[in-house]
Amino acid sequence: MNQGHSPRGAWLIVIASIITMGICVYDYYTPETGLIGTGGVVLVAVAGLLMLLAALAMKFYTARPRFLQVFLIVSILLDIIGSAVAGYFLESPVIMACQALALIGWLMQVIGDATDRSVEIDEVEDED
Amino acid sequence: MKTRNAMIAAAALALAAAAGTLTLAPHAVAQAGDSMMMAANSMGQVWDAFGGNQEAQKYSTSTQITPDNVKDLKVAWSIHTGDVASGGHSTTWGATPLFVNNTVYVGTPFYRIFAVEPDTGKTKWTYSASGHDGPPENQGYKSRGVAYWAASAPEPGQPCQKMVYVGTMNGELHGVDADTGKPCAGFGKNGVVDVNAWLNTNSKWKIGLLQPPAVYKDTLILGWAGNDWVYKTANPGTVYGIDARTGALKWTFNIIPPEMVNETGTANVWAGISVDPETGLAFLPTSSPSPNYYGGDRLQEMPYATATVAVDAETGEVRWSRQLVHHDIWDVDTNSAPTLVDLHKDGQTIPALVQATKMGFLFVLNRNTGEPIYPIEERPVPASDIKGEHAAPTQPYVPIPEPTTADTTPPVSKLADLVSFGECSRWKARLRDEGRFTPPSLQGSISWPATVGGVEWGGGAVDPTTATYVVNSDQVPQVYTLIPRDEANKQYGDALRGKGGYAAQAGSAYGFKLENFLNMWGMPCWAPPYGTLSSYDLNTGKLNWKKPFGQVQKWGFYMPESWGSVTIGAPVITKSGLVFIGASMDSRVRAIDMKTGNVLWKHLVDAPAVSQPAVYTYKGREYVVFTAGGNGILTPRLSDQLVAFALPQK
Repeated sequence: MNQGHSPRGAWLIVIASIITMGICVYDYYTPETGLIGTGGVVLVAVAGLLMLLAALAMKFYTARPRFLQVFLIVSILLDIIGSAVAGYFLESPVIMACQALALIGWLMQVIGDATDRSVEIDEVEDED
Repeated sequence: MKTRNAMIAAAALALAAAAGTLTLAPHAVAQAGDSMMMAANSMGQVWDAFGGNQEAQKYSTSTQITPDNVKDLKVAWSIHTGDVASGGHSTTWGATPLFVNNTVYVGTPFYRIFAVEPDTGKTKWTYSASGHDGPPENQGYKSRGVAYWAASAPEPGQPCQKMVYVGTMNGELHGVDADTGKPCAGFGKNGVVDVNAWLNTNSKWKIGLLQPPAVYKDTLILGWAGNDWVYKTANPGTVYGIDARTGALKWTFNIIPPEMVNETGTANVWAGISVDPETGLAFLPTSSPSPNYYGGDRLQEMPYATATVAVDAETGEVRWSRQLVHHDIWDVDTNSAPTLVDLHKDGQTIPALVQATKMGFLFVLNRNTGEPIYPIEERPVPASDIKGEHAAPTQPYVPIPEPTTADTTPPVSKLADLVSFGECSRWKARLRDEGRFTPPSLQGSISWPATVGGVEWGGGAVDPTTATYVVNSDQVPQVYTLIPRDEANKQYGDALRGKGGYAAQAGSAYGFKLENFLNMWGMPCWAPPYGTLSSYDLNTGKLNWKKPFGQVQKWGFYMPESWGSVTIGAPVITKSGLVFIGASMDSRVRAIDMKTGNVLWKHLVDAPAVSQPAVYTYKGREYVVFTAGGNGILTPRLSDQLVAFALPQK
């Protein structure tokens, strides 16, 4: 099974997670943000890092088994939702915007994967 | 997810700190005097005292910033003094900046004075008092700023005809020239008065000159802060009248009766003092006697304790007094300067004052006589079950204006109870909880409102033209537990303070433990709101509006506005119909619409602005200046920022 045929989706998630981590570092060290030194931004930064790793795994670990595929998809979605809610309570529009971007990437990835699977099934049926 | 974030929200309130009717016969001695014209018309251009003016009105006649344009308010300048905790010792900065003599003056927790240009924030001069190299003996590094005096009959060409004063937590009062920052050699000894030297009775610690003195003509009126939890007998509360030019002691007012000084202590004046410039009366908010939570050794009458006392500012002679809590065993010190205002009722002008309290009561009194303008009821309150203690059978109750706090303890927070598996409700069930004035007990009592308040030390602000009064108030119950001496000694040995909020009350029959009513996660066990802002029409005594105020921020997460925030600091009012206030845990300062209570503008500063802002107009531009210093009671976030806001220049 060849997965990861939707590289743009994974890349969007990668970009969103990197921006999320960047803004968290900025918030953590900048007094004017009101978030300096707070655990909330550390939490979101860690979530961003996990999202990054998951997205990279989706991109480059193409031979991943099915259960890992499902795990990554679900984990990224939960990460996006949690980070978005955290961004809301941190009153950080940038973090929320990043999660919107990541969500678009996630949708592209999921839809792309579904399409890939459909094509693969068709190909198998054709071979029959 | 909603539940999860609500949990985070509740946890954010891991507060460090965490009730027959008789009209009182006034304890008053009438003071004849004409109703004064309040100084409102002269304000707006200066802000020369802790409370905006000596009447503690916190009112500005400035009108440039309005409800319509306040949304455009921007930082005009910001400076950092460098005087902020950087290690072992916390700093608490509740200073009101003064604007007078074409200069902004502010005192810091390291006992320095900064004189800065009003329009740029550029430093003109600084003065450093000694005493911040090591730990202070009393309550840490704190400051509520400076006082300003100008000679009524200046000597031409001589220095120190205008002076700025800063106190230290080690009992020194420094006086410097307002133009140069140089010590005034004629003030005390080379510019320093050792106030400790005047207090030789039962001296347990050096007194802390936290609050700047009030000024009346050429007299400074000075109280002090102490430490009233740890000893039964301690420094007895005193207020000093001091020659503003020389530092010489002019008079002393003793709050504790002479026959009681070896049985108790404190009952001092640690909050602001207001002065009526027309009658020369100084109004002293007095605190509770020591030890704070057990009064079995001090059962005699002490009418000046936890009271408002009016004294002659020139002599210290008592003109009238009104006790606000009888036999105080809750540490509900009278903690803010009375706000002076003329009321208009039934075609008459009444010289009044408003004394806000930690109990959430607003005592509206005739400031010349101490007689209540709105009825004060004497209501029965719960009896003490502590051996040796005799709680007062009744306490003053003020139904009008409506108290800022409810008569009964807030209900248990369902969320906090749920996530702690019922810890909150189980704990509450074990406690005495009979509403206001439930006495401390061995089993533990819910004190409501507790020592946190109610109204904190900033007090309220008033528009003297409309008698509209605005005040912020905390809504915080705490748990008071007395511990028999033997048991206390077993648990804590000879320690004066210990874990779990223990204070020895050494020399008395009981130690004491003050606990914040929080669950295992640090979440408040009571339902929000945790803080409110209220507006009253003092001419009628009616509440205009009351709303949750501020926001809690924990771990960076902002909690719902409907929860409000515990607040420390006070509002100010402008003639244009705005209320400016910091005070909130979320390090934001806000502008509020006087008519509606709605937030019109907010801006982040470096730490909670646990102070009251100054409002002034300089070179045609209106400025609102906050000190953002923080207070460990609210959050660990501390700062040394002095920040001014103004409308953009065209």
